[in-house]
Amino acid sequence: MMSTTRIGAVAAAAGVVLALASCGGGGITNSGSGGGGDTKGDIILGMATPLSGSSAAIGPYMKNGAQLAVNEINDKGGVLGRKLKLVVEDEACDPKTAAAAAAKLVTEGTMVSVGGYCSSATLPTLSIFGKANIPMIIPAANSNDLLKGNNKNVFLLNGTGAQQAQAAVDFMKKSGAKAVALVDDNTSYSKDITTRTAEDAKGDASLKIATQQSVTAGESDYSAAVTAIMRANSDFVYWTGYYQEGGLIIKQLKAAGYKGKIMVADGSVDKQLITIAGQDNAQGVYATMTQTPQTIPGGDGWIAKYKAAFNADPGPYSTQSYDAVRVAAEAIKNAGSTDGTKVIKALEDINGFKIFSGNLKFTPEHTLTEGGFDILVVKGDQFVLNK
Amino acid sequence: MDVHYLLQLVLNGLFVGAFYGLVALGYSMVYGIIKLLNFAHGDIYMLGAFAGYTMLTIGAGALGGGSIVALVVILVIAMVLTGTVGLVLERVAYRPLRSAPRLSVLITAVGASFALEYGVAVGYGPNPRVYPVGFGNGAVDIFGARLTYAQLFMMLVALGLMIGLDMFIRRTRSGRAMRAISQDPKACLLMGINVDNVISRTFFIGSALAGAAGVMAGAYYGKVDFLMGFIIGLKAFTAAVIGGIGNLRGAVLGAIVLGLLESFGTALLGSEWRDVFAFGFLILFLTVRPTGLLGERVTERV
Repeated sequence: MMSTTRIGAVAAAAGVVLALASCGGGGITNSGSGGGGDTKGDIILGMATPLSGSSAAIGPYMKNGAQLAVNEINDKGGVLGRKLKLVVEDEACDPKTAAAAAAKLVTEGTMVSVGGYCSSATLPTLSIFGKANIPMIIPAANSNDLLKGNNKNVFLLNGTGAQQAQAAVDFMKKSGAKAVALVDDNTSYSKDITTRTAEDAKGDASLKIATQQSVTAGESDYSAAVTAIMRANSDFVYWTGYYQEGGLIIKQLKAAGYKGKIMVADGSVDKQLITIAGQDNAQGVYATMTQTPQTIPGGDGWIAKYKAAFNADPGPYSTQSYDAVRVAAEAIKNAGSTDGTKVIKALEDINGFKIFSGNLKFTPEHTLTEGGFDILVVKGDQFVLNK
Repeated sequence: MDVHYLLQLVLNGLFVGAFYGLVALGYSMVYGIIKLLNFAHGDIYMLGAFAGYTMLTIGAGALGGGSIVALVVILVIAMVLTGTVGLVLERVAYRPLRSAPRLSVLITAVGASFALEYGVAVGYGPNPRVYPVGFGNGAVDIFGARLTYAQLFMMLVALGLMIGLDMFIRRTRSGRAMRAISQDPKACLLMGINVDNVISRTFFIGSALAGAAGVMAGAYYGKVDFLMGFIIGLKAFTAAVIGGIGNLRGAVLGAIVLGLLESFGTALLGSEWRDVFAFGFLILFLTVRPTGLLGERVTERV
């Protein structure tokens, strides 16, 4: 797996080099007419998001959210007198597919990337966009692994794994958990949260991590993990993977007679989790989640606009994708150019720009200063804000 | 370690082993008779799960919702359907290649596997589907270990199917013909046995069992997707090798052993080691005892 991923990344990188070579050729004619980079035509925003595969449900939410912002900005005359254009490619929540999608977005002339959902799939795209000097405003992917390379072009618009873990630990303490079981699916995003949750919990004597389990995604039988959780006498289970396995684990925990609390991380916040677990089993399951339009005060008007445009309900990461486009437009406007280096500088300088999660200002690591994680709870067939 | 914990691990192992067993039987039957590793077999399991899903979604009202009787009826229909698919698969993909080198058939089997997987992906879409039935969480307490009624029911059905197959193979003329062909197909032909018919029948029965396992997995776990047959196909193959491929009682024994190995292995090492453990044993058996636990005949292998 490791080696094929690497081959994929190398192939994609090679593709980028070729693409850059051909772009360079085109650039000369461009500068001849335009003078100093491209200053004409549409401003192209690229988005890699899952449209197939295990997380395919998320893609349309992100795509529509971004498109809504593009439409609104274009209706007001665009940016620097130019129209925005959104180009979407499928990343399938798979590193190889994502690398190919990123390479394609680069060849299609992406100036700012506003995509990225699965962290493990977003990781290989960092260097592909980085080599082309394209700023990335990542709306959803939030593993701290994304920050390890210190890539100057990478900005995270979602709370990070560290912030999510902190929110989780705070809630565990508040709800009086004694023995916590942490379960992840061994992917970058999921493992990041469990590791950090375990570290954060160390500081508190009343909160004990009773067991830590890693399961393999894509299987059906999680009885091994469930039995280990039951044996550790856990009264609080925190699942940090995605909704398919999450649903199965909740169902199997309940079948095994588990009576304690269950919480899931943002990758599992999807109605499918409730369907797979069974509505009865899912009642009262908590979730750590970044703000969704349904949970944001005053989000109703935005939901109505979204519905009018796409005849569908917004979902997880619709607002973040909407904000990613707005932040990109703001940075390009402030930079007065689509030049990668200038836009990155403008993004670092943004201070107090209003987005859904509050006033935007990036930390030196290019993450949000305010994390903005909410605790949701399952009521009926959906997640609602826990009060 | 306390008794109820050990017992719980045993029950977990037996339950998973029951599914492996139903799929491993088909693997082993086909290998025993035409020496083919039918890599599409796991996908027949997936087809069974989708057949059950389709019938439950369309006919849920007519069949009276998720009652046990409705589920058994659907199980039988799905078995006939997947059995037929197995039959067609053999006729279309394997029979024309019967005298071809063994590698060609093996490659065809891998191709057939992809064709089934992505055929379903095109038909049903790549997103997982959820069975519209659910079992309650009611359970029996066995010395402190817990087994839900649904699990108990599934294991009884699996046991019934296995015993039925064993009787069929050992007591009937058809069964005798199958055993004869597995020993010497040419001699059988000379003795007037319709070899093609028996091979078709073998595929039908093996695929029907996998289809039954698919419906049961769909009903119990709830979630089905087009790649669900891949891992269980490999696990069933492992079970068949552990038991001695070609030997039917061996396949069931191998499946139970594999289920228990996984259950105890993960309890000792952690759940992320489950597949490492299972396939590590496959390698161990292939190198140390390639004939498996119950395999005696030393035949040449692929």
